[in-house]
Amino acid sequence: MQIKETTNKGLARAYEVTIPAGDIAARVEAEVKKIAPQVRMPGFRPGKVPANLVKKMHGEQLHAQAVNDVIRESVDKVMQDKQLRPAMQPQIDLAEGYEEGKDAVLTIDLEILPAVEAPDLDGLKLERLTVPVADEAVDEALANIAGQQKSYKDAPKSKKAADGDQLIIDFTGSIDGVEFDGGKAEDAPLVIGSGQFIPGFEEQLTGSKTGDEKTITVTFPEDYPAENLAGKDAQFAIVVKQVKVESETKVDDDFAKSLGLEGIDQLKGLLRGQLEQETNGLTRTQMKRQLLDQLAAGHDFDVPQKMVDAEFDQIWAQLQQEAAQDENPEQAMKDIEAEKDDYRKIAERRVRLGLLLSEIGQKNGVEVSQQEMSMLVQQAAQQYRQEDRERFIQYVQSEPMAAAQLRAPLYEDKVVDFLFSKAEITDREVTREELEAAIEADESEQAAPAKKAPAKKKAPAKKAEDAKPAAKKAPAKKADAAGDKPAAKKAPAKKAPAEKAAAEKKAPAKKASAEKAPAKKPAAKKAPAKK
Amino acid sequence: MAKKQEIDARHYDVIVAPHITEKSTLASEHNAVVFKVANDATKPQIKDAVEALFGVKVTGVNTIVVKGKTKRWKGKPYKRTDLKKAVVTLAEGDSIDVTSGL
Repeated sequence: MQIKETTNKGLARAYEVTIPAGDIAARVEAEVKKIAPQVRMPGFRPGKVPANLVKKMHGEQLHAQAVNDVIRESVDKVMQDKQLRPAMQPQIDLAEGYEEGKDAVLTIDLEILPAVEAPDLDGLKLERLTVPVADEAVDEALANIAGQQKSYKDAPKSKKAADGDQLIIDFTGSIDGVEFDGGKAEDAPLVIGSGQFIPGFEEQLTGSKTGDEKTITVTFPEDYPAENLAGKDAQFAIVVKQVKVESETKVDDDFAKSLGLEGIDQLKGLLRGQLEQETNGLTRTQMKRQLLDQLAAGHDFDVPQKMVDAEFDQIWAQLQQEAAQDENPEQAMKDIEAEKDDYRKIAERRVRLGLLLSEIGQKNGVEVSQQEMSMLVQQAAQQYRQEDRERFIQYVQSEPMAAAQLRAPLYEDKVVDFLFSKAEITDREVTREELEAAIEADESEQAAPAKKAPAKKKAPAKKAEDAKPAAKKAPAKKADAAGDKPAAKKAPAKKAPAEKAAAEKKAPAKKASAEKAPAKKPAAKKAPAKK
Repeated sequence: MAKKQEIDARHYDVIVAPHITEKSTLASEHNAVVFKVANDATKPQIKDAVEALFGVKVTGVNTIVVKGKTKRWKGKPYKRTDLKKAVVTLAEGDSIDVTSGL
């Protein structure tokens, strides 16, 4: 086998490999010998078919297979001999005009992974911005919960219904004396001012008392979903059975018990835990950003173009999808078109950081254990319906790619944790606002060197590194109980504009799109880097 | 095979197919080839046909008729068709590739 290097430029390599016909023939021969004992043919006892007949019958397939094997092996050999670490699947072409009995000429095109020297981990200096959870914040959250648990109390008979009061009513609706479907109800609760009913209905009931009987006329709006009713005048005969007034929910042990807890202290503890978690999420985001910035600043190596392209294509596809769903698809398309270069830079940065992190991880023996992996799979499976879970788990087990995708974010997190443990960390207490501002500021800083469209850059930059934390942060923000898991998916998208608003950036739609991407991104991104 | 256009079509009716079995493979070691031939084919006809079709020299032809088995289907006996085989011995140096067909 002859190996000839044809290109060696930057990270790109190309080789021409010649495989002599003899090698292939010998391989076919060996293969024939191997399968001969299993061949069945009429006229012969099993396994007694002469080799030349076997070759005649299965020769084509065997040959094709042999050629494939030879190609694969020779590519492996090239990698080994030249000590290459391919960045992506090498592109292998068999020269045209090859047929059995001739030497096979292969051309191999590939890009190698850059030699990433494991960075010096001692010099890392990070600042941890912690936010103490204030008692007021806990109280506020408590009040929030209480507000959601409104209760109503019977009001005295003389009480006239006003805004915010609840009425228990029976009503019968008719148009021109004819009752219509769905126009009748008994003991229906109606909160005045809630806008639940058609316009005019609630207003006319304001001021009614317990026991009142009333007939009101309301006009269905033109855009009422039921066509036969839209735009018509209808009379409702109403009996007000009870007027109820909203009662303040007292935050006390009883209230906590109604939520299934032991007492108010436990509730407070829980809320405090939640708040802490959410600020911790922010803190981590901020630290990770610092860390990645330091890493990125200290390392500037060539990255394989193909990986960048793949990453970019992914971002691009995502953006296009977002744009298509935008209110104004053409405008959105134009916007992202204009920032194409920036997205490319982002892709490059992502690939670089991905390589760097995985290199650090490898050098320092960071590993994802089997146990963690199965936990991860279980968690991911939660997103699916009961009957699909089993299937999902099996899928992950059978597809190494899928497993790698799941593993990647966790691996990244672990590497980051590892780096945190190495780094010199200084603590500083700040308020929540300051912490958020710090995160924003980091983003702006990154935007600056990019020059163009700083506003844009920042959103994606964030996505680039903080895929994970972004997702984490979002649910945290939501402040109420709710499980983090399902929220994580959607929340970033929703949250983005609000969060950004403070920073005074334009194009919220764009940002939303950029933000949404991260939720999915990291898995895809790390997969190639790892392999 | 090269002289196909000159070959008389009747020769194709004589030779039905090569008979490829373990036993025939053994026969090939003695420079013989086994064919299935038409039931009414005679040894001289077979010799002519093989010489014409494959362009070889035939030194001997032996034939065997393999009688069809008597089978029953729905209780009713019937007979499978007979088969005539011809073991054709070729002159020294000649050979026929039985697997490649005509």
